[in-house]
Amino acid sequence: MVKAPVGGAKHHPLLLPSCSILALVATCVVPTAAHAAGTLAGTTISNTASASFDNGGGTQTIDSNRVDLKIDELLDVTVAGNATDVPTTPGATNQVLTYRVTNTGNGPEAFALSTIANVGGDNYDPAVTQIFIDANGNGTWDPADTLYVAGSETPLQPDTAMTVFVLATTPASAADGNRGVVTLVAAAKTGTGAPGTSFAGKGEGGGDAIAGATGADGQDNGAYKVSAATVTLVKSAVIADPFGGSEPVPGATITYTITATVAGSGSVNGLAITDNVPADTAYVANSIKLGATALTDAADADAGDYDGTRIRVQLGTVAGGQTRAVTFKTKIK
Amino acid sequence: MRIALILLSAALAPAPALAANQVALDNSVFVERVTTDASGKQRVRLEEPKIVVPGDRLVFVLNYRNAGAQAADRFVVTNPMPPAVRFADAGDTRPIVSVDGGQSWGTLDTLTVPLADGTRRPAQPADVTHIRWAFQKPIPAGGAGKLMFRGIVK
Repeated sequence: MVKAPVGGAKHHPLLLPSCSILALVATCVVPTAAHAAGTLAGTTISNTASASFDNGGGTQTIDSNRVDLKIDELLDVTVAGNATDVPTTPGATNQVLTYRVTNTGNGPEAFALSTIANVGGDNYDPAVTQIFIDANGNGTWDPADTLYVAGSETPLQPDTAMTVFVLATTPASAADGNRGVVTLVAAAKTGTGAPGTSFAGKGEGGGDAIAGATGADGQDNGAYKVSAATVTLVKSAVIADPFGGSEPVPGATITYTITATVAGSGSVNGLAITDNVPADTAYVANSIKLGATALTDAADADAGDYDGTRIRVQLGTVAGGQTRAVTFKTKIK
Repeated sequence: MRIALILLSAALAPAPALAANQVALDNSVFVERVTTDASGKQRVRLEEPKIVVPGDRLVFVLNYRNAGAQAADRFVVTNPMPPAVRFADAGDTRPIVSVDGGQSWGTLDTLTVPLADGTRRPAQPADVTHIRWAFQKPIPAGGAGKLMFRGIVK
């Protein structure tokens, strides 16, 4: 049912400023939307109204003129780096920082990528070696991912994101606990500038391109944190002679203790303690202990073994702040 | 202005109908920009839509004129919303609207939209698919007026 509007739209309601003050100025356009894409650039908005009436000869219908507006391209991009620091060790190569670059504009746009490693607020400058774009979308850097080469960017569709990996070498001089920050910058290839900056004719579909609220470029930080560990070994010996004393005489038993202390915020992988049985002594079979736990001499499931020349205890990964004590016995010949 | 309208009318297709009725409807679109001056005062300006991006507010203006010798009775103007534009408001022109592609009509506060679970929720401006102004009084010969509504580029 068509209801007549209450009060109706009467004649001559000048609801708008008259045309004379319609500013026909192409001033700096400041877009309001910082959020995602919206209608794709190049889309045409067509508007036509129609009117029906009866002027005595029955109902007639007319159409208005049609107004077509082409939607221009908004250039916007956001970059998001790792939320947490990526652990690294001094001198390590191909250390990976991960970023997400999202095209928040409304047209396909290629973005130039660059890094800034000498930003302040950190302890050292990671040496950036390469930038990769995640090719298989698994979010993890593989050597088969696409190496980024400036000038050969391909467009990113609106409202889509790509994962970017920055590979860097940690300087050997970096100390435990140090942070190294790398900023990734993504800039629209069409152009960047203050929000509202327009690039005539550069937009998708032949319209203009406009720098959006992000200024058509974005950046974010990612950081490495050096997580190093050091190992200190201390060896001591206790002699028990057959007479209840501690003289190094033939027949006396020497108990060696090797204490490994791991310090630092990182951990040590594959830590093994090996010690040759001294000349003129005979190894006491099955005397290896890790802490209070006895280990067999065979190279088997437990961590210890004796091969006729040396004892070995494989400690595996030991985190900073922990100690391991290994003991074994020999008898003076 | 009259010349412009006649030219526009002439350019429009169904020429026989126009010749008979002499009622014209002219449609124009502007972009509404809000600028804030140094003293923090906001100014609203209507500009030619040279650059249009998502989020922009568009003002659609419909000028009607009865150039015929007879009054135009039961005058109804209908404007389907362009798909890429979300209806915002119609100033104080008090249209009725449709939220279902033009099947049913009413003021926005009387309309509802079906939900997936079978219930209905009150209609929002963003649901509007058509806008219509139905005049209670005839447009006298020579009478003219202006209608408007605002929309936001999706």
